[in-house]
Amino acid sequence: MTLELGKLTGQVRSMGEDAAARRRQAADLAALARRWLAQYADQGPHLCHPARAVHAAIPTAEPLDAVQPLPAIPERFTVAAADGSQIQPDPHGAALYYLVNVGSLVYRHGSGQAPLAHTEPTLGYAEADLYEDGMLVAGNLLDVRRDLAEITRLADLCAAEPSGPTVAMVDGTLLLWVLEERSQEWKQARVMAYLDQLQRIRESGAAVAAFISRPRRAEVTRLLHLASVEGNANRAMEEPNPLEHLPDRAVFGSLPPGARSALFVSPSSINHGYYTPLGHTIHFCYLNLAAEEGDPVIARVELPAWVVQDPAQLALVHAVVVSQARITGDYPYALARADELAFISAAEREAFEEMVATSLLRAGVISAPSPKAHYKSLTRRGRRRHRL
Amino acid sequence: MTNSGIRVGRVLRAGTRGFAIGCAVMRPDIPAFGSFVRAAGLTPDSAIYGLIYDVTVEDDLFVRQFVSADPPDEVVLDQRENRQVPIEVSVLAVGCGDGERVRHCLPAQPPVTLDWLYQCSDQEVRAFTTRFDYFRLVLESREVPADELLTASLRAAAAARLESERDSFLVAGGRELARLLSGDPVRLEGILHRLRNP
Repeated sequence: MTLELGKLTGQVRSMGEDAAARRRQAADLAALARRWLAQYADQGPHLCHPARAVHAAIPTAEPLDAVQPLPAIPERFTVAAADGSQIQPDPHGAALYYLVNVGSLVYRHGSGQAPLAHTEPTLGYAEADLYEDGMLVAGNLLDVRRDLAEITRLADLCAAEPSGPTVAMVDGTLLLWVLEERSQEWKQARVMAYLDQLQRIRESGAAVAAFISRPRRAEVTRLLHLASVEGNANRAMEEPNPLEHLPDRAVFGSLPPGARSALFVSPSSINHGYYTPLGHTIHFCYLNLAAEEGDPVIARVELPAWVVQDPAQLALVHAVVVSQARITGDYPYALARADELAFISAAEREAFEEMVATSLLRAGVISAPSPKAHYKSLTRRGRRRHRL
Repeated sequence: MTNSGIRVGRVLRAGTRGFAIGCAVMRPDIPAFGSFVRAAGLTPDSAIYGLIYDVTVEDDLFVRQFVSADPPDEVVLDQRENRQVPIEVSVLAVGCGDGERVRHCLPAQPPVTLDWLYQCSDQEVRAFTTRFDYFRLVLESREVPADELLTASLRAAAAARLESERDSFLVAGGRELARLLSGDPVRLEGILHRLRNP
């Protein structure tokens, strides 16, 4: 056995004690943050400008401490959810390729019908697929392709959906995450392709939202610190922020069951550089998904400006997210199923690799994993170990 | 033997005495406890016959979340129709055929993984149950609910016959059971009671 658990006992014990101490400290900080939220609730208009400078949540017209109760859940609505997974290209494998698998589910609430489940696997193997700007399509480059495939699938589903209240949903964020090191042109082309799909969803009449479970963002807490230093961005950057490591969700743990927080605008530079000029400015709020008083289940939901500006669409997203999450308890059912459909298990991956090897042999290509990959397969699979 | 008939599922695991089948969806009466099924043998026209003795619906952690939650109809249909939650069917091997005749014995070789398992047609059931030699294989099998299985298979075989032939068929089956279980009148009485009171 390589991992000697005995050597970790002390560290694990101290980790547990540290976590307990941090939890106690976080409760005190959350109380401070809630006091500030109430104290500076009407300071939004004064904080908008400096908030961007310190990368804090940007207030909207709603008071910072606004609480919107759960709207009535419509008897009938449609949720289209998509999620993706990928196999990264492996330079040590028998062949160089990547695979993106997008799973989607169309759930028609109140219809009494089985949802429509679908998967769409795409294999990238040609030179044109595998390289962009001279770089192998892996890591963030492949993440971007997967995100584009997900949103395109959602736009296709929304375009095909009969009119009626419809919400398209992704897991994560609506802000395409592109590494800063990419060229401006490359970044613009990818973000624009993503925004084209958001526009298709908008034109279909559907709403769109991104759902983040147990969010770690600390943008509202940064805003509260800014408010505590009278909106002075320089002071906010120089003076220590006691809420620095407190996630926003801790602040909104006091939301009543089903309610949402105020809306804020994401301070992301991509949001202002690309999304805002085309009317897609990404807003966000926090929701308590819990069905009753007790432990809150706080999630973050992102929405584009055109959903936020339409009270019916905004209420629909609010109601649908809560309704879907309450099926499982804390996570939208349609997203859970889309993830399941997209997921590539180790067994499936192995079967696919065998398929590739057979196809190569049939085509007369004798190929084998690199020596490194070969020895990894020997040492990692059949390792002799005691049963734990 | 042509591979026609209603497919029950594909072979997951197989041994000489029986095999397990995986299927995704249950239809009315298929798969059903005590019904006669057939898988292809390894040689052309050969077949392996069996009796379904257990149908298990596997669960998973996702399904467990909904059991006490009163899920919406759409979720129930999604779980039943779209998710590949496996239904496992266990089959006791009771005979084999070479295309010309059917014998009540264990097959020389089991079916192969992923072979299709078919529901036997009424004609096949009638042909298989012209004799009752398979009773001994069922009665001697320790891993199956043998008495219930025999009763269910006899009822299935009777149902595959004309109504006018059913009583005489069941009486003949009962006589064979009386012969085989002459030393165990309590067990015999139990089986006959089950046959008389479906």
